[in-house]
Amino acid sequence: MATAEMRFQPERSGGRRGGQHRSRATLRLLQAERSEEVFPLLLEEIVALGYPRAMVLEVNFDTGEVIPAAALKWPQQQMEKFSTALWKEEHPLASILSSARPAVFTGSVIHGHPVYVHPILHSSRSLCWEADRARATGCLAVQNFRREKRVRREEQVCPTCEMRGYAAVVVVELKRSNSEAGLAALGELIEVGNSFLSRLFKVEHYYVRMREMEITIARMGTVMQSMADPVVLTDHEHHMIMVNAAAEHFFKVPDEMSEGLVRAVELNNRLFSALLSSMLDSGGAYRDLTLVDAMEGEEKLFEAVSAPSFGPDGVRTGTVTVLRDVTDLRRADQELRDNYDKLREAEGTVRQERDRLNLIIENVGDPIVVCDREARLVLVDPLAEELFGPVQKKPRPAAQVKNQSTLNACISSFTGASGERATAPLRLYNPKLNQEIEYDARSGKIFDENGQVVYTVTVLRDLTALRRVEQLKVERRMLEIEKFAAAGRLAATIAHEVNNPLDAIKNAVYLLAGAVPESAQPVYGILRSETERVARIVRQMLGLYRNTEQVKPANLNTIIEDTLLLLNRQLQRANVEVICELRPVPDAVIAADQIRQVLSNLVINAKDAMPNGGKLRIRSRHVFSGADNLHGWARVLVADSGTGIPAEMIRAVFEPFVTTKGEKGTGLGLWIVKGILQNHTGRLSVRSKVGSGTVFKIDLPVVKP
Amino acid sequence: MSPDHKYRILVVDDETSVLTTYRLILERQGYQVAACGTSREAIEAISRQDFDLVLCDYSLEEQHTGIEVIAAARKRNATVPAALLTGYATKETAEEAADQSIGVLYKPIEIEEFLATTASLLRREE
Repeated sequence: MATAEMRFQPERSGGRRGGQHRSRATLRLLQAERSEEVFPLLLEEIVALGYPRAMVLEVNFDTGEVIPAAALKWPQQQMEKFSTALWKEEHPLASILSSARPAVFTGSVIHGHPVYVHPILHSSRSLCWEADRARATGCLAVQNFRREKRVRREEQVCPTCEMRGYAAVVVVELKRSNSEAGLAALGELIEVGNSFLSRLFKVEHYYVRMREMEITIARMGTVMQSMADPVVLTDHEHHMIMVNAAAEHFFKVPDEMSEGLVRAVELNNRLFSALLSSMLDSGGAYRDLTLVDAMEGEEKLFEAVSAPSFGPDGVRTGTVTVLRDVTDLRRADQELRDNYDKLREAEGTVRQERDRLNLIIENVGDPIVVCDREARLVLVDPLAEELFGPVQKKPRPAAQVKNQSTLNACISSFTGASGERATAPLRLYNPKLNQEIEYDARSGKIFDENGQVVYTVTVLRDLTALRRVEQLKVERRMLEIEKFAAAGRLAATIAHEVNNPLDAIKNAVYLLAGAVPESAQPVYGILRSETERVARIVRQMLGLYRNTEQVKPANLNTIIEDTLLLLNRQLQRANVEVICELRPVPDAVIAADQIRQVLSNLVINAKDAMPNGGKLRIRSRHVFSGADNLHGWARVLVADSGTGIPAEMIRAVFEPFVTTKGEKGTGLGLWIVKGILQNHTGRLSVRSKVGSGTVFKIDLPVVKP
Repeated sequence: MSPDHKYRILVVDDETSVLTTYRLILERQGYQVAACGTSREAIEAISRQDFDLVLCDYSLEEQHTGIEVIAAARKRNATVPAALLTGYATKETAEEAADQSIGVLYKPIEIEEFLATTASLLRREE
C-alpha cells in the first residue's frame, strides 16, 4: 500500500555503476511499479551520481514526526541525528519542510559534511480525476505542484477527494568537488523521482478507493438481502436492477413453477412497474400495492415506499423501493375498526337502555333507592332524594340522616336475609308534607355471577295516600248503599201502607170467586190476576225495606250458605240439585242483607228457569282481574241448567219490569241485583244459552288481603 | 179428629177489612173463627176459651205486638201453634219468632200458601 509509512529498503544486489546519464536514471526509476520501490531506486541513482551517501526521511502526519524511511551508505547511528518533528521549527529539516525549498547545509550540527536537503510533497501538474470531474480547483497535488502551500499536517489532505498526501525530505551528502550544475542535476533527479512517486501514489489511492467501494457495495448488498421486506432497485426505465431475497418471491420466476404462478409473477411485475410510473407522475412516496406471493400463492398487501437514487453527478439513476407487508397490519386495523364500530353500537344500545330505564324510574312516581351490599346509597331518584338527600356525601338535614338510618336498618336486614324479595313497612319523614308517613318498602336483590348480592332495589309506596284513596272508595260505596237503602225504605213505607188494603182486596177477590155470575167472569179474572201482580210488586218492594243493616266486612261464603239454607226447601220441592264449590275468599265490605237478597234473587231465578228441576251450581273464589282493585275480587258464579235467556232479551234483563217469567215475574229482581252490586262497586255479568242454562257472575271488591 | 169437632182459630189484625176477609176465608174452610181487632180483645178471648191456632198481625194498636198475644195464648196452652202475619219483619223479629216456634207469613199472602200453612200448623197441634 502506498502510504506515508515506507519501509527501509536495503541496497539491491548488482548495484549500479556510477553513470551520470540522466535519461538512464529516469528509465530506471520508471521500473518502479509500486510507490515503495521509488525511494530505494532514487537513492541508488543519487549514489550512482558519485555522492557518498543519501537518505530519505518521511513525515508521519499522525504523530508529526520526521523519521528516516530509506537510506543508502549511511551508518545507522548517524541517521538518528536527522530525526526530528514538524513542530521543531529550529531544526534544519523542519524548516526546510516548512519552506518547501531545497537547501544546502555546510558544517551544520546535524552532519559533519555538507548536505543537500530537498523536500518533496505529493504533487502533480494536473488535477486528480475526482477534482477534474467535480470541476474543483482545490486539488492537493496541483496546489503542491504550484508550491502554494507549506507543509502542515492538516493541510496535506486533498480538499476534493480527502486523500492524505505525503511529505518527505531527501538528504544527500555532498562531494568535495561540488558544483552548481551538479546540484541542479541532483535536484532535477529528485523531482523526477517525486513525479513518479506521485503518479504511483495516485494510482494506489484509486485502487484503495476501489477496494473501499467494493466493501461498501458488499455491505450494502448484505444489508439489502438481510431485509425481511422486499427491496427493489430499478433503473430510470423501471427495469429491475437488483432485488433482495424477499422480493424474489414476487418478481422472479423460479424454474419449477406452475403456469398460474408464472402469470402471477408477470402480473406482479406489471403492477409494480405501473406503481412506479404513477408514483413518479404524482410525486407520492407511499402507495398500496397488492401482490401474489409466487411461493405461497397467497395475496399480500404492501405499502410501497419509493425513493429516487442519484448518481455522483446528481443525475437520477433509478428508484429504490421498499415494500412493507401490511396485510396483517391492515387486517388488524380493519378488525380494530370493526371492533370499534361494534363497541360504539353496543355503547349506543346500552345508552338507550339506560335512558329507557331512567325514563321508567322517573315515571314510577314512587321513591326508588338502589343500595350496595353494605346498604349504602348508590342511586336515588328525585323523589327518593327528597327523603334521603343526594348520594354524594354532603352535610344533610337531621331528618334525612334519620330517614337514611331507618332505611339502612331495613335494607341491611333484607340484604342478609335469604329471600329475593321482601316487603316491609317504613316510617319516614316526608319534608314536603312535613310529617312522618308510612311507606311500604318493596325490595328486590340483584346478584353477581357468583350469586352474591351486589345491589338491592327498593321502591317505597306511600301507604297513607293509598289508604286514603281506599278509605274514600269505601266511604263512597257506603254512602251509595245507604242511599239505596233510604230509597228502599221509602218504597217499603209506601208498600207497607198499600200492603194491608191490598191484602184485604186480595182476600175479598178470593171470597167472591163463587159468587161472580158467568157474564162477569172475564172481568173478575182481570181483577184477580192484576191484584196478584200488585201483590208481587209490593212484596218485592218490601224486600228492599228489610235491608237496613249496617255495612261492614263480611264473608261471602257465609252469606251463600245462609241463603241456600233459607231456600233449601223451595229448591228441594222444585227438584233442583245444588252443587256448591266454595273456595276461601277474603272479606268484603258489604251490607250482608242486600247481598243475601242478591243471591236469593239469583237462586230463585235459577229455580224458576228449571220448571222440571235441574242442577244449580254455585262457586266462589278470590280472583285478581282488572288493575283498579288493590286486593282483587270475591267472585261468585250462579249457574243453572235451565231454559236460558233468549239472546234478544239478554241485554234487557237488568232493566226494571222486564221478566221472562210472564205473569209470575215482577221484572224487578235483577234490577235490584244490579242496583245493589253497583252500590257495592261490584260487577255483574250474565251468559246464557237457550236450552242449556244461564250463568250469572258477581264480583265484589275485596278490601283487605 | 171427629167430624163434628171444629178447629178454633183466633185471628188478630187491627185492620178491619183484612180481619174480616181472613175470618171469611177461614170460616169457608169450616173452621170456627174468633176475630179480634186489638190485642186487648184477643187476650180477653184467650182467657175465655182455648184455641187450636193463633194467627196474629205483628204490629197492633199502641205499640202492642202479635208476639204478646201469642205469649198469652201459650200461657194457657203451651203447645198452641201460632203464626205471625206481617208486611215486613226485621231480622230480630224473624229470629224471635223462630226461637219461639212461631211461623211467619208475609203479606200480601198467597191464599193457597195461607191455607196450606194453616192446615199444616193445625196438624202439628194434633
